Amino acid sequence: MIKKVLIANRGEIAVRIIRACREMGIETVAVYSEADKEALHTQLADEAICIGPAPSSESYLNMEQIISATIVSGADAIHPGFGFLSENTKFAELCEKCNIIFIGPDSKVISRLGNKSEARNTMANAGVPIIPGSREAIYDASKGKEVAREIGYPVIVKAALGGGGKGMRVAENEAGFDMAFNTAQKETKAAFGDDTMYIEHFVQHPKHIEFQIMADKYGNVVHLGERDCSVQRNHQKMIEESPCAVISDELRRRMGEAAVKAAKAAHYENAGTIEFLLEKSGNFYFMEMNTRIQVEHPVTEWVTGIDLIKEQIRIADGQQLSFTQEDVKLTGHAIECRINAENPEKNFRPCPGTITDMYLPGGKGVRIDSAIYSGYTVPPYYDNMLAKLIVFAKNRTEAIRKMQSALGEVIIEGIDTNVDYQYDILHDPKYQAGDFDIEFIAEREAKNRQG
Amino acid sequence: MKLSNMFKKTSRRGYISLGEGKPVHMAPEVPEGLLKKCNVCKSAILTEDVKKGYYICPKCQNYFRVHAMRRIEMVADAGTFEEWDKGLTSGNPLHYKGYEEKVEALQEKTGLDEAVVTGKAMIAGNEVVLAVCDGRFMMASMGKVVGEKITRAVEKATGEKLPIIIFACSGGARMQEGIHSLMQMAKTSAALKRHHDAGCLYVSVLTDPTTGGVTASFAMLGDIILAEPGALIGFAGPRVIEQTIGQKLPKGFQRAEFLQEHGFVDQIVERPRLRETLAEIVAMHKQGAYDLPEVEEKETQAVQKNLTPWERVQLSRDKARPVGAEYIEELFTDFMEFHGDRYYQDDKAIIGGIARFHGMPVTVIAQAKGRTTKENIERNFGMPSPDGYRKALRLMKQAEKFNRPVICFVDTPGAFCGLEAEERGQGEAIARNLFEMSNLQVPILSVVIGEGGSGGALAMATSDEVWLLENSIYSILSPEGFASILWKDSSRAKEAAGVMKLTADQLLKAGIVERVIPEPEDFNLETFTEVTDPMDDYICIFLKKYGAMTKEELTEKRYDRFRRM
Repeated sequence: MIKKVLIANRGEIAVRIIRACREMGIETVAVYSEADKEALHTQLADEAICIGPAPSSESYLNMEQIISATIVSGADAIHPGFGFLSENTKFAELCEKCNIIFIGPDSKVISRLGNKSEARNTMANAGVPIIPGSREAIYDASKGKEVAREIGYPVIVKAALGGGGKGMRVAENEAGFDMAFNTAQKETKAAFGDDTMYIEHFVQHPKHIEFQIMADKYGNVVHLGERDCSVQRNHQKMIEESPCAVISDELRRRMGEAAVKAAKAAHYENAGTIEFLLEKSGNFYFMEMNTRIQVEHPVTEWVTGIDLIKEQIRIADGQQLSFTQEDVKLTGHAIECRINAENPEKNFRPCPGTITDMYLPGGKGVRIDSAIYSGYTVPPYYDNMLAKLIVFAKNRTEAIRKMQSALGEVIIEGIDTNVDYQYDILHDPKYQAGDFDIEFIAEREAKNRQG
Repeated sequence: MKLSNMFKKTSRRGYISLGEGKPVHMAPEVPEGLLKKCNVCKSAILTEDVKKGYYICPKCQNYFRVHAMRRIEMVADAGTFEEWDKGLTSGNPLHYKGYEEKVEALQEKTGLDEAVVTGKAMIAGNEVVLAVCDGRFMMASMGKVVGEKITRAVEKATGEKLPIIIFACSGGARMQEGIHSLMQMAKTSAALKRHHDAGCLYVSVLTDPTTGGVTASFAMLGDIILAEPGALIGFAGPRVIEQTIGQKLPKGFQRAEFLQEHGFVDQIVERPRLRETLAEIVAMHKQGAYDLPEVEEKETQAVQKNLTPWERVQLSRDKARPVGAEYIEELFTDFMEFHGDRYYQDDKAIIGGIARFHGMPVTVIAQAKGRTTKENIERNFGMPSPDGYRKALRLMKQAEKFNRPVICFVDTPGAFCGLEAEERGQGEAIARNLFEMSNLQVPILSVVIGEGGSGGALAMATSDEVWLLENSIYSILSPEGFASILWKDSSRAKEAAGVMKLTADQLLKAGIVERVIPEPEDFNLETFTEVTDPMDDYICIFLKKYGAMTKEELTEKRYDRFRRM
C-alpha cells in the first residue's frame, strides 16, 4: 500500500504530483537541490530533503542520493515525473532492488522501449505500422546508403539513443546522404557516447499525434484518445490539444487499436504514450513510446475526465484500472500552451531571473499547472518551462477563443516569456483552421524572416 | 513573498485506502552491499559502478585501494595468472604477543596467506612476472614472507629472462618481525640488482600508500616507475614528519604528482589506462629484430646561399620554427614520456622517453622550447637545469641497458644560467653527460634543430653523428655573449656571428658535424615535412650503419670522432 510518495522531480510536475497525492491522503516527500530551497515543490510537500548542489547531475540525477532520501523519509514509492530519471532503466532497477515502488513501468520495459531500434522491431512484429527503414543498426555511411536506396528518399538518419533533435539529419537525395549520416553520427557520439544509427523513410509534413495509454498489472490496456502536438519548434512542443482537429472517429479507432496493440506488445504497465506520425493521406506510423507521464497530460485529463496521476499511483499500488475502453469518451476540446522563460526575439534564449510581479488568469475552463509565484527566482540550471496554461471548452473554436482570452491576461514581470509569441500563434488562421503539421512553426518563422 | 511554512500539510485522515487487504509489499530497504560510501567525498555510490569503473569513485574520482586478486584481473589476460609460492609462513621471530593469531585471522578474512601475491601471467599476450601487494593484510607491511616471495619472484624472473612488474602498496617494514623485516629491504634490493645486471626489465607501479621500508627498497628501483594518481608515496609518513618538524605539510605533499614533479616517478597512469600502458612498455622491451625501410642516400639539395650568418642566427630562433616535441610527434610513434632525474626534479626543458621508429624501439630526448609564451615559461625557454641533463643521462643509460639507439634533438640557447642551477651542479651535470655519452654502448644521433648553444648543447651531442638543419647554429656561446666577452659590447652580436663560424655549412666544412639538412624558405609546421621526410630517411641510414657495428667498433669510432678534433 502506498502511503508516502517521494517525488524525484521539481517544478510544476512535482507540484502536480504533490497535489494528487494530497487529495488521496498520501504523504509527500519533495527532494530539492541547493538552488531549489525556495521552490514551490519544496515548500508544498509534507517533507523536503536536500539532495545536492544545483547542477542536476549532482542532485535530480543523483540516484544514490534519491534512493537514500526515500529510505530515510520512509516513503514507499517514488514518482519520477518526466525528464530527469523518469526513463532511466538503471534507476528503475535500483528501486526494484530496494523494494521501492517505482511509479511507472518495469525497468526491463523502459530499457526495451528506450532503445529505438529494438522498440521498432517489437512494434513491427506486433503488426503496428512503422515507417519503412533499416531494421538493423548501421554504423557506416556506405552501408547506410544501400539501405536508403531500398527505402526510398527522402530519408532521415537517427541515433539509436537520440532525443530532442540531437543526432538526426534528413537526406533529400543520395548526393546529400554521406553528409547527413556523418553529421548525425558525430553528434550522437558526442552527446551519448554511442554511434549506433538507423535510417528510415522521411515522412514529409506529418502531424505529431500521440495516444495516451494506461495499463495495469493485469493486462488491461486502455487508450485515452490522442493529442495533437504538431506545434513544435526545434522538436520542442509548444501547443498541444485533444482531440486532433483532423482525426475522424474511424481513424481514431484504428490508431487507438494500434496504440493498445503496441502497449500490449511491450508488456506495458502504468501510463505511457505512443507517438505516431500521421500523413495527410491518413497513413500513420509508430514513432516511439514514452514510458512516463507527459508534460501535456492535462489536455487528455480534461477531455476524458480522468486524473492520470492518481490513476498512475493506483496502478503502481496494484489496483485494476478504474475504467474500461468503453468508459472512455472524449468530450469537448482542450488546448495547452507552454509558457517558457525565454525571449523569442533573441532566438528563444532562456531567461532565468526573478519574477517581480505576476497575474495568472482563471475562470471556467482555465487551468494553470505551474510552480512559480510572485518573488520566485527562476534558476538557470533547469528546464525553462514556467507554467502550462490549459483551457477547456465544448468545441475547438471556443477553446481557441478561451485560450486567446486567457493568454491575454497572463502577466509575468521581471523575466522574458513566450506569452506574446503563443498569443500570435493562436491568432494564426492556419492554426485556427487546424491546418498545421510539424513544420508549421519553422515555416512561419521563415516567412516572418522574409516578410 | 517567502513561502516557508505557509501551506497546510497532508491530512492522513483523508487517506483513501488504496489496497483492499492486499499483502503489504516488503518495506523499502537498501540491500546489503548495493551502496557504499566514498571515504573521500562521503557520497553514497553504487557498488556496481565502482566495480565496473576500476574502483574509482564515480563522484569524486578518488582511487579506492584494490585487492591483489582484483588488481591481477584488471591487468592480466583473463585466466593466465599462475600463482607461485603459496603457503609460505614466517613464524614469529620476536615471539611478539598475539602476532600469530592476528596473521591467522587475516588469512581467514582475506583468503590470502600473506600480504603479497606473486606469480606469472600474460599481459596482452606477453609473459610477465607479477607481484602484487594487498593492503588488507597488515597494510601490506613487509615481513619475511613478503620479502621472500618478492625475492623469489624476482629471481625466477631473472632466471627466465622475464620482465617483472611489482605493484607496491605498503605501510613499510613489519614492526612485529623487527630486524628480520628490515633485512628484507636489502634482500629484495639485492635480487633486483641481479635482475638489472642481467639486463631484465623491472616496472614498479606505486599505489596508495607506498611508504617506509618498501619505498626505501624495491618500490623505488624500477627501470620505469609508474604511479597511480593521488597515491601517497614517501619514506616517512606525513604524520611523523609533521610531528618531527612541528609544521603543517602543504597540500599535495608526498602525493604521486608531487613525486613526479620532484623527479621520482616516470609517469602517472590513470587506472583505466594501466593495462595498456604496461602492455606497451613490455612490448617495447621485447628483444627482436626490426627491419627499417630500405633507403638510398640522395644528393643533398643546395642550401640557401645568400643569407648572412646573422640572418641564420635569427632564423634559428624564429618563433614559427618547429620545436622538439613536434619532431617527436612527426617522426616517431607510440611515444611514452618518462619524467624525472630520480634526484631532485623533473626538468621540463627536456622531454624524453621511449618511442618507435618504423617499429623499432628507440630512446628519444629533446630539448624543449615552448610553442607559446606560457609554455616557454614552463619550459624555461629550452634552457635545461642540471636535473634535465641528469634525466637525459638516466634515459640514455636505460637505452644502453635495453640496447636501444638514442636520438637527441638539440635546441637550446644554452644551459640555464641561474642560482639554483649552480647550486645543483650545472657544470658537473654537463661534464657527467660528456663522460658517460662518450662510451655509451648504443648508437647516439644528435640533430640540432634550432640553437646549439654551448655546453648545454654538447651535453646532448657527444654522439656518433651530429646533424644540423640548414639554419641551425652550433657555437661556443651566443653571438651576444661572444661579443660581450671579447669586445665588451653585446650589441656587436651581428658582427660576432660572422666571425664565429657557427652556421651549418661552415661547421660541415670544419668537420664538426656530419650532415646538413636543407630547409624550405618558409620553415614552419606547414612545411615541416619537407625537413622531416628526408630526416626520416637519414635516420634509417644512420641506424642501419651504426646498428651493424659491434659495441667496441661503435665506441671506438665515437672516441676517434672527438679525439681528432
